[in-house]
Amino acid sequence: MGKRLISNFRIFIEGAILAYRALFRWLQPSTYLASKVLAPLTMMIFFVFIGAYANGSNSASYYVIGNALIFTASSGIFGVTMSIGGERWTGTLPYLFGSPANRLVMFSGRSLVHILDGMLGVFIGLGWGVLLFGLDLTKTDPLALGFVILVTTFSTASLGLLMGCLSLITRNVMLVNNTMYFLLLLFSGANLVVETLPKWMQVVSAGLPLTRGITASRLIISGGKLQEVLPMMRVEFLIGLGLSLLGYVMFRVFETKAKQLGTLDIF
Amino acid sequence: MTWDHFKKTVNVVTMAFEVEMRQNLTDGFVLFGILLQPLIIAFMALWMLKEKGPDYSIFVVVGSGMTGLWTTLLFQGGNSITGERWNGTLEPLVGSPSSLQVIVFGKVLANISQSLFSMVVCYSIISFVIGYPLVIVDPMLFLISLVFSIFAYVCFGLLIASLFILIRDIGRMINTLEFPVYILCGFLFPITMLPGWTTPFSYLLSPYWAAQALHGAASGSATPAQLLMYWGLLLGFSVIYVVASRWLYRVILYKARVDASLDTEG
Repeated sequence: MGKRLISNFRIFIEGAILAYRALFRWLQPSTYLASKVLAPLTMMIFFVFIGAYANGSNSASYYVIGNALIFTASSGIFGVTMSIGGERWTGTLPYLFGSPANRLVMFSGRSLVHILDGMLGVFIGLGWGVLLFGLDLTKTDPLALGFVILVTTFSTASLGLLMGCLSLITRNVMLVNNTMYFLLLLFSGANLVVETLPKWMQVVSAGLPLTRGITASRLIISGGKLQEVLPMMRVEFLIGLGLSLLGYVMFRVFETKAKQLGTLDIF
Repeated sequence: MTWDHFKKTVNVVTMAFEVEMRQNLTDGFVLFGILLQPLIIAFMALWMLKEKGPDYSIFVVVGSGMTGLWTTLLFQGGNSITGERWNGTLEPLVGSPSSLQVIVFGKVLANISQSLFSMVVCYSIISFVIGYPLVIVDPMLFLISLVFSIFAYVCFGLLIASLFILIRDIGRMINTLEFPVYILCGFLFPITMLPGWTTPFSYLLSPYWAAQALHGAASGSATPAQLLMYWGLLLGFSVIYVVASRWLYRVILYKARVDASLDTEG
């Protein structure tokens, strides 16, 4: 039992690191800087200025926090999806499915590096907010904020795991990813006040990851305590867990179907 | 240019236009860029600016439309040549007697036209849902501004496509180039909100003048003299882009022959 546990832990960590190194070798420092640091920054600036145009410059922190948290979606959706779908594109999926490794460990490990990367992205985003828009973090409990960011990144990466499974059965993975990313932008409350949206949009918003994470981050940054956001974070975590499990079930179903039909790497 | 040569050029543009249009209709990512992304941005912008009242709806609709045009131009137009390289069709295109520049012109024109058509449909839906009327104060001036804008966009596309080939780092930075143009060109908020040092950069971008012309004609805030100036600038920029890209395409083909790098991924 103990031996199996150690073996699974090793597969989890090694799988996470090796998959990242192999599938993201194209992510050179300059490309990383462009797609993970500068591109989200320019998006943040765009929405902060629209917000300032609509509501005055005092609203900057609202949009800065919302768009900093969206950084998690960049790693969580695109990164995790590519971690799973990339195995298919590079022709290594049959080897993975042929190995005796524990599928749950193999599957969930794919999100590890991207969760860390997503957290780093949020900190970079908040840093840009402090530097460019005078975001005030003096009342912030750093541990509470770190916890909120961790849970939010996990739930967003879980959505990425689910999307990654879809990438095993579709050729239009970029369409799926981009659509999900922009829907999160629309529904999560990053730029629009959720309470002012039409009722049906509020329902969708409540069912998505990220929404509570953004609300909780705003609360913590304005001086709120961890206790106040714990109930929200519990739901955020459960949403993430549910999405991960759903993704895992789909992963197993696709594996079985693909083996039965002989369509493992047929596009 | 003789009449016969002109007819052949138009024929090549038409063929490139048709093939690109057909290919786009089967590409999910292109459809996302043309339909979904501008729709979502338009909805968000309309919702964020709704406190400003219905007068702003046409500003937001035109501005969002321009974001869609720019995104299409950047990702589709920018990859016009690179895409052929990925598909392995660049060598036959270069080997054909038609000019590569003319072929790319037809392709970018198809992208921009598709983006424009879909936007009209999308924004009609959005304004219907949100309930704001879309009133163009001077439709004729708006239409003329639109023609100048499209021409300037397509010519800009010629330049971008060649730069993506020659300076491959630009291609890698593609995601970084999307929003800065939204910001600098005043698509959805006036550039007076930006720091003063950014203004010269705005003036150097033809989409900024296209935004000025379209916003001005749609809301009636621009005088005929101002519109004439915007059209003149758009035309001037277009000529510069065409001349510059003509030279760049020669450099590309020369380099490809010398380095044998026509289908080499960088």
